[in-house]
Amino acid sequence: MSEAKRIFIGGVGYTNLRDLSVGPIVLPQLQQLDWPEGVEIDDLSLGGPIAAVHRFREASPYDRVVLFGAVARWRQPGQIYLYRWDRSLPDRDEIQMRVSEAVTGVISLDNLLIVGGYFGIWPPDVVIVEVEPCDENWGPEFSEPVRAAINPLIKAIHEAVLASSDRFPTSPAKAWESQP
Amino acid sequence: MCFKNLPIEFDEEGRAHLKEGVRDPYTYQTRSIDEQADKIQDLLARNGHIKSVDFDPVTRVAGALAFHSVVDLKERRVLETNSMATLFRGYEIILKGRDPRDAAFISSRACGVCGGVHSTTSALTLEMAFPVVPPPLGIAVRNLLLALEFWYDNPLHLFLLAGPDYSQAIVETTNPEIWEKAKKTAAPHADVHGYRTIGDMMTDLNPLTGTLYLEGLQMTRTAREAYVLVGAKYPHPETVIPGGMSTTVSISTFNEIFSRLSQLFDYCKKTVGIWDDLCDFFYDVNPEYRKVGSRPANLIDTGIWDDPFAYDASYEHCNEWGERRWATPGVIVDGELVTTKLQALNIGIEEFIEHSYYQTWDGPRFRTDPAGNPISPYHMWNKETRPQPTGQNWREKYSWATAPRWDRKAMEAECSVRLWNIAAGGVMPHRRFLEPTGKSVKIHVPESTLPAMDLEWKIPPVWNAFERNRGRAYHLALTTVVAFDNWLIGLDLLKQGKDKIHTAFEVPRKGMQIGAGFWGAGRGYLTHHAVIDDGALSNYQILTPSTWNACPRDPWGNPGPYEEAVLNTPILENFSSPDKYKGIDILRTIRSFDPCMPCTTHIHVDGTDYVISREVNTCACGIDE
Repeated sequence: MSEAKRIFIGGVGYTNLRDLSVGPIVLPQLQQLDWPEGVEIDDLSLGGPIAAVHRFREASPYDRVVLFGAVARWRQPGQIYLYRWDRSLPDRDEIQMRVSEAVTGVISLDNLLIVGGYFGIWPPDVVIVEVEPCDENWGPEFSEPVRAAINPLIKAIHEAVLASSDRFPTSPAKAWESQP
Repeated sequence: MCFKNLPIEFDEEGRAHLKEGVRDPYTYQTRSIDEQADKIQDLLARNGHIKSVDFDPVTRVAGALAFHSVVDLKERRVLETNSMATLFRGYEIILKGRDPRDAAFISSRACGVCGGVHSTTSALTLEMAFPVVPPPLGIAVRNLLLALEFWYDNPLHLFLLAGPDYSQAIVETTNPEIWEKAKKTAAPHADVHGYRTIGDMMTDLNPLTGTLYLEGLQMTRTAREAYVLVGAKYPHPETVIPGGMSTTVSISTFNEIFSRLSQLFDYCKKTVGIWDDLCDFFYDVNPEYRKVGSRPANLIDTGIWDDPFAYDASYEHCNEWGERRWATPGVIVDGELVTTKLQALNIGIEEFIEHSYYQTWDGPRFRTDPAGNPISPYHMWNKETRPQPTGQNWREKYSWATAPRWDRKAMEAECSVRLWNIAAGGVMPHRRFLEPTGKSVKIHVPESTLPAMDLEWKIPPVWNAFERNRGRAYHLALTTVVAFDNWLIGLDLLKQGKDKIHTAFEVPRKGMQIGAGFWGAGRGYLTHHAVIDDGALSNYQILTPSTWNACPRDPWGNPGPYEEAVLNTPILENFSSPDKYKGIDILRTIRSFDPCMPCTTHIHVDGTDYVISREVNTCACGIDE
C-alpha cells in the first residue's frame, strides 16, 4: 500500500488588514474541513519567511506545498488565480532585499516564495492560490468582492491539493485563463 | 540640572518652574533654509563634480526611508542632506476614541520587528493612567521578555542589515585597498570568535552566503522560540497587558527559556569580539573613518527594565523608580550626562512639524505634567496628529517624521545610550552582572562553552557610525545579562511561591486620566503618551527612536541626526569616476542608526473612519528643489 502524499497548505497574510488578511482568516475554515490523510494546514504568516525556512528545514519533506493568500497585482478584485510556481528567483540583490524585508516584518506571499526558494525549502511541486484584493484598509472584514470569493477560494485550494499540478499554468498571468 | 534653551528653571528642591517674566515662554521664530538651499542649487549648477545622490529607498533598513544628499566628489564632502520618512504611521489616529485596553494590541502593529516593545510601552502608559501596579513576577517576566526581543533585533541589525556593509562583497568593491589589507591583518579576538584574519571575518559577513549572516538568521529563531514561551506570539505578543502578564509561568517555563538563553552567552561574547575587531581595524587602516557618521554625542534614553520591587507605575515617583532600572534613564548633551530623572527628560521634549507633513494643532490642553512641572504646547500630551501631505519640497515639508527635540536640541536614540547612561550615571543598583565605572560598564557574561568573560564597553571619545555598531554589539551582552538576572529573580519568586503575575484593574469610566510609558526599543528610546476622557482614548502619541533619528530639520533649520551625521561624513570610498560612486560611507552612516521606519502605511480621512493604506507612500523622486 502506498503512503499518503504529504501536502502542506499554508495561509499567508497580515492580520486585520481586511482583504490582505485572507490567509490567516480563511485558514481556520480550512482546518474544519475533511482532507485526505497527509494534509497539514497552518499559518505561515507568523514569524515570516525565515520562520518558515526554519520550520521546513526540520520537517520531513512534503510532496506538495499549497500557499494561498491575497496578492495585489492590479487585476479584477475578488478573482482567484491558481498556478504552479515556476521556481524562478530574482537576482541576488533582490533576494537580499527580500530577506531584509522578511526579517523586518513584511508579510507577503511573493517574499515567502522567494526567500523559501533561495534557501531550498520548497518541494518540486508548489501550487499557489491567490485572490486579488481591493480593500487594504485596516480591520477584520473583507470587501464585498473578496467576501464573495471565499467559497470559490476554498474550492480552488481543494483543487490545488487534489489535482495533478501539471494541469496548472506556471505564472499568475497565465492563470487568468483558468479561474475556477 | 538646567535647561539651556527652554525657559524652565529648577528650585533648590529640584522642582521645575517657568522662568519669571517670560511672557510667552514657548514661542519661537522659525528660520528659513532658503539661503542654504539656494547656495547648494548654485553649486550644483556650476560644478560638474557636485552631484545630487539619492537613496530611494535606502535598502537593508526596516520600513521605508529615502535619503537625499548633495556631494562634492572632488572635495569628497557632503554638502546637503535630507532624510525622508516616506510612510505615515497613523496609529495615533487609529487609537483615538478606543477603549484604552485596545492600545497594547493595536500599537504593537506599529512595527513588524519590535511589536512587543510597543505593547509593553502601552501597558506602562495605562498602568500610570488607571493606575495599576503589576506584581514583582509580572515585572520580572516582562523584563525577560523584552530582553529576548532585543535578541531578535540586535543580531538582525549587526549581521543582516548593517553587517553586509563591512563584508568582503562590499569592501572589495568600494575600497579594494582595505580588502587587501584585511586579508593580511590578524584579528585580535581570534580566540573568542575563531576568525584568524579580518578578511576571514569579512568573508563570513557576505550577504546570503556568509556564516555570520546565516548565523544571524538562525539567532532570530532562538530569540523567537524563547520569546513565544511567555509572549505566546512574535512579533505581536498576546500576553503583555496593563498590570503584568496574561499568562502563567512555571519553573519548567523558566527552564525552557534558559535552554535558549544559555546559547546566547557565547554568541554575545563572539559578537562583541567581531565588532571590536572590525571597528578598530577600520580606524587603524584610515583614522578618517572616525569621522564617518560622526555628530556631537547628544543622546536620549528613557531607560528600560524595571526593578520588580521598586516600580509603582506612578508619574509622581518615576524619578525614583526610573533610576532603579537596569538601564538608567538619561540625557547626554555634548557627551555629558545632564540628567537621570525621567520627569526632567519628559518635560524637555517637544515635537515640531515645520518640515513634516502635518498641520498644527489647537491647545495646549495641559500646561504642566501631573507633578506640576511646566510642559510645552508641543509636548506629546498636547500634540495631536493631523496629517497634511502638502508643500512637498526640500525647503518646506519633506517627511512623515516629526522633528522631536529635547531642550530644542536634536537628540539621538540608540540602544547603546543605555550603556552610556549606566556608565556615567553610576546609579544603576543591579550589580550582579554589571559594574558601572564612570567611564565604562563592565559586563560579566557567564560561562557557557566559552569561559566567563568580563566585557567592558567604554564611553567612546568620538560618536560615529562605528561606535553605534560596536555599542549595539555590547548592548547584546547587556541584554543577555539583564535577561539572566531577571530569569534568576523570576525563578526565585516562583520558588517562594510568589507566582502572581498580574494585578486586576478597572478602566476608569469617568473623568480624565493621563499616562506615559517610558520604555525602549531595540534601537533605544520609546515613549507613548495617552489622555483618556470618560473611559476612551482621546489622544495617543507614540514617539519612536527612528523619529528622533530620521527627523527632518527643526523650525530653526537644524538638521536631524541622520542628516547631521551624513553631513559630517567624509567620502572615503575609492572610485575611479563619478558614475562608479556607490555612496558606501553615507550608507554605512545611515544604517549605523539601525533605521526602523514604521512599517504600515495608514492615513485617516477626516470626518470618517476610512483609512487609506497606499496613497500616502510618498516617494522622494517626486520632490523638487
